[in-house]
Amino acid sequence: MSRIAYEGPYRVRDTLIEAHRLAWRRIAEPGAWLDGERRVAVAAEVRAAQDCALCHERKESLSPFAVKGEHAPAGPLSATEVELVHRLTTDSGRLTRTWAEGVLAAGVSEEIYIEIVSIVCIAMVIDTFRRSLDLAPFDLPAPVAGAPSGYRAPGAARHDAWISLVQPEDAVESDGDLYRGAASPVLKALSLVPQAKRDYWDLAEVHYLPGSEMTNFATDVRAIDRMQIELVAGRVSALHQCVY
Amino acid sequence: MLRASTEVSGAAFDLNAVTGAATGDGDIEGGTLLHAFAEAVTLRDAARTAEIRDALVVALGEAAMIDAAATAAAFHGFVRLADATGTPPAGAAGGQVTMEFRESLGINAFYGARNG
Repeated sequence: MSRIAYEGPYRVRDTLIEAHRLAWRRIAEPGAWLDGERRVAVAAEVRAAQDCALCHERKESLSPFAVKGEHAPAGPLSATEVELVHRLTTDSGRLTRTWAEGVLAAGVSEEIYIEIVSIVCIAMVIDTFRRSLDLAPFDLPAPVAGAPSGYRAPGAARHDAWISLVQPEDAVESDGDLYRGAASPVLKALSLVPQAKRDYWDLAEVHYLPGSEMTNFATDVRAIDRMQIELVAGRVSALHQCVY
Repeated sequence: MLRASTEVSGAAFDLNAVTGAATGDGDIEGGTLLHAFAEAVTLRDAARTAEIRDALVVALGEAAMIDAAATAAAFHGFVRLADATGTPPAGAAGGQVTMEFRESLGINAFYGARNG
């Protein structure tokens, strides 16, 4: 198992360190639809995408769909899975419904799509945090043997997003702890695969805000106030051309 | 969310800063530095990130810099989650974001708004 520790010049709060340990351990373990080896391979592709010549060329192009070619993959994922990871990592603001439908039509199931999205987001959060403190990325974890659970939330259906999701009223006991109150659209986005949703949000709430504080605009649970938090959030989102 | 938090606190801040169309702290302590930090991290500019990180520690303290970094990192995940799943923007921020507000900030000119 790779060592998850912060020994740099800055004191990182303990909740972040614990969340990083948990997230990194979970990446290595069998998920709902991917085994540990393929889950770690997704995280490896997130890093490989940064040096992918095709991704660079597409990023510079007026339309990413005008540039054809092959990615420089780092591991055992299929070409379509690599396309999903690389595009999401390097040019997420220009993804389209047609593109997502193409990934599904090429053989990536909705469940695997969602699990890959969850892992990409987790790897991006942790790698970005480390980079922002001028710390090297963690070593990737060693995969843990075992079979995926194969769990898809039975209440999931297509609504107004590109991928099936679970509305709060359609959640069932076997989904586990899926919603803890109001469910915004972004909170529902990964709900097709409940474990993928929990994996991401357990990390995101420690980085951003606990679910109980999301609608508290005077929250003081962090060392910066809500306006300062949202200024950072807004600038990052705008630079990504995120329309959400 | 930024608009809601400034309204609750009664603070003045030009929301166009998030798209780079305005500058200044407004009533947000360290606003210019936080804006620059978010930008440097997102653009993967290591030298600028280091420079602003040090300035943030001096201006707001180490814990504040850590939470600014944690927030910036979190939104490297949130944006990808929303973009990959086609999460509809209509319900963002509790449904408070109107088409007019998005237009005023220039969000409707983003690629995803025109082609998604």
